[in-house]
Amino acid sequence: MRTYELIFVVDPRVSDEDVVTLTNDYKTMITAGGSEITSEENWGRRKLAYPINKINEGKYVLLNITSQDGKTSLAEVEHRMRQNDKILRYLTVRTDEDLKRAARRKRPASAGGSSAGSTEPVDGPGNSDVDDEEEV
Amino acid sequence: MGRPKKVFFRRRKVCKFCADKIDYIDYKDVKLLQQFIPERSKILPRRISGTCAVHQRPLQAAIKRARHLALIPFTTD
Repeated sequence: MRTYELIFVVDPRVSDEDVVTLTNDYKTMITAGGSEITSEENWGRRKLAYPINKINEGKYVLLNITSQDGKTSLAEVEHRMRQNDKILRYLTVRTDEDLKRAARRKRPASAGGSSAGSTEPVDGPGNSDVDDEEEV
Repeated sequence: MGRPKKVFFRRRKVCKFCADKIDYIDYKDVKLLQQFIPERSKILPRRISGTCAVHQRPLQAAIKRARHLALIPFTTD
């Protein structure tokens, strides 16, 4: 299973209702491609850090998407976004791998190997919840 | 004896992400990223920020993504 984040910036001259219909368009496209939309965030109007096409503001929409391996229509959606000049920017990021890595790091399995001669496995009983890191 | 010992207290730099246990650096977290882009909006080098290599790499990626979405400037003039 893969998770994605799709975020896009719409021209602020597009009305809020049109933004909603636009996102619904993309959402139906995504669901038709066999993916699921887990959550949606509308950030509303936001100032851009730099002008894009002489526009200083943008409306941000964020979609969180879950899909089975290799079954997405995201390429198609991106293609459509590229052609739509109301979309100033878009970005699709696959997040499952990074989040998994982050979750793994949360449980500190870091065998530092600082003390000499300890060849025992680290996962002995008793030190399952040791959380402090020694730094000198 | 006579010689005054000069003692430097250099504050030890600690990787912010290790210290705060931030594992996933989100490109949407502008407030966090802004701490690593000084005036000129360049990415703060590890040498100065003290970020460890493991976290500097995703930080870089996050900053670049945020730039693309105009959440963060490329430059300031």
